[in-house]
Amino acid sequence: MLPNRSRTSVLVFLLPPLLLYCAAVLFPILQSLFLSFFSWNGISDMEFVGLANYVRMLTADDIFWRSFFNALVYLAICLVLQLGGALVVASLLTSLRRGRELIKTLYLLPAVISTVAIAFLFVRIYSIDPVGLLNQLLHWIGLGSLERAWLSDVNTVLAAVSAPEGWRFTGLYMLIIYAALIAVPKELEEAAVLDGASKWTLFTKIRFPYIRPVWITTTIMATTYGLRGFDIPYLMTNGGPGQSSELLTTYMYKTAFTSTDFGYASTIAVFIVIECLVAVGLILFMLKRKADS
Amino acid sequence: MITQTAPAQPTRARVPSPAPQRRRRKPSLYRTLSRVLIMLIVIVQVYPLAWLFVTSLRTEHDFATGDPFGLPSSLTWENYARAFETGDLGRNILNSFIVTMGANILIVLFGMMAAYAIQVLGFRLSKFVRGLFLVGIIVPVQIALVPLFIDYSAVNLLDTYQSMIIPLAGFALPMSIYLFSSFFEYIPRETYEAASLDGAGPYRIFGLITLPLSLNTVVTVVLVNSIFIWNDFIFANTFVLSEDLKTIPLGLQNYIGAMGKVDWTATFAAVCVTITPLLLVFLVLNKAMIQGLESGANKG
Repeated sequence: MLPNRSRTSVLVFLLPPLLLYCAAVLFPILQSLFLSFFSWNGISDMEFVGLANYVRMLTADDIFWRSFFNALVYLAICLVLQLGGALVVASLLTSLRRGRELIKTLYLLPAVISTVAIAFLFVRIYSIDPVGLLNQLLHWIGLGSLERAWLSDVNTVLAAVSAPEGWRFTGLYMLIIYAALIAVPKELEEAAVLDGASKWTLFTKIRFPYIRPVWITTTIMATTYGLRGFDIPYLMTNGGPGQSSELLTTYMYKTAFTSTDFGYASTIAVFIVIECLVAVGLILFMLKRKADS
Repeated sequence: MITQTAPAQPTRARVPSPAPQRRRRKPSLYRTLSRVLIMLIVIVQVYPLAWLFVTSLRTEHDFATGDPFGLPSSLTWENYARAFETGDLGRNILNSFIVTMGANILIVLFGMMAAYAIQVLGFRLSKFVRGLFLVGIIVPVQIALVPLFIDYSAVNLLDTYQSMIIPLAGFALPMSIYLFSSFFEYIPRETYEAASLDGAGPYRIFGLITLPLSLNTVVTVVLVNSIFIWNDFIFANTFVLSEDLKTIPLGLQNYIGAMGKVDWTATFAAVCVTITPLLLVFLVLNKAMIQGLESGANKG
């Protein structure tokens, strides 16, 4: 604590940021919770409906459940691409002598580009008429039978809108994991190599346990970002065809701003927050317990 | 374990000795494979972007009929001219610039102030306030859309720069407070005590010691946040309706014509124009940015 500080000086420094934060983040969270107990279209009077919105969401809304499961698939694909891809590249990169900086930069490039641009790019990559990159590639490697309109096929559309989001941030997580990997003490690794440890043992017994704290952080980051994913599916398919690529976030957005059902949209928003909190809790619980055993 | 490290150290210093070099031949297959794999993944990562750029230089005819992988038969800048005609690209870039600057000023100033109050000044509820700010890292932005839309329309803030700047700054604030307070931890107590003895109060210490020392962290915070703010789609799409205020992500949507017909080459030219400013900053300052991203997550 600073010797000469006064109560006013604390308030002078703390109040402006706290006010902005309350106005933009905290108050809206409480307001969402409040709105979720009402039925309101933004124009007529608000009507208190108690838990009716929640009952409707959990028992009578097929689209909600569809979006929920879609969101889980979306999350799974993003996690595999982002964390799996990041871990593989980061480990490989540690054995590289030159060009690390260049590869790091190249790898991070997609993270700098706006989601709208990425959505455009991938719409074009997936298209079949005119033939896009993906279909052309399949044709060339002799898998022409797999060619299809990826975004209009109900079986592939969910994976097709998830992949760009995964692709976009792999570099970011790679960077974080790589920084952790090169911080693993060389002595530990050398001692293990002297004891005859294989590359795989080295990785599973030394490196990975050592970076566990960072792994937990990145898993939480990737999971919460995956659960709030919105832009790319919204822009590429708007949840379609039908509801086959609808996520909770796109469903909430449409409920709020297309159907102007503010109360019900808030209920879904509250569910998304709870989902994020539960996910973070689960990750901490699972990874901590594994570390203890 | 650690006691074993002492003898290992000198062998490492003598790397160019013949013995380890002969040993290097064995893992060379592994090394070649890993190199090939890295190259493949980098191609997957970068090729779409290179393709985007090349396409923006193709003529429409060449793009429609030619092989999508192939190199264009001729290059043209005409798409860029058409891109500027179709949309209001200049206006979009200016708007994005205003929003990014505005939000960054708030994020840096307020983030530094809050971190200073929590970390340096200290007060009874500082742990609680820090926790309050942490909530904002986990909570998804979507929760704020409906309430903010209602509040903004009540106070006539819809369709203004502020309607984008306030939530963008608010949601970025927790991370920047976190980064600033981890940095402030490393400023030695004695510096403050010495300044206090010389009669400096909390305001002067902030202005003369804390602020100048944190310039590196400021760069990091600005760079990382600029990526997200420059590219923000959801707040802009929800709170802004008029053409005049549209930022780049919204402006790009104008390129989808009626019936979903898209002028692809002009669109890609527009995309190239809009990603260039950020890309240049990124390429020039990527060391600082990479360091910031790495330390930000690794401290957690």
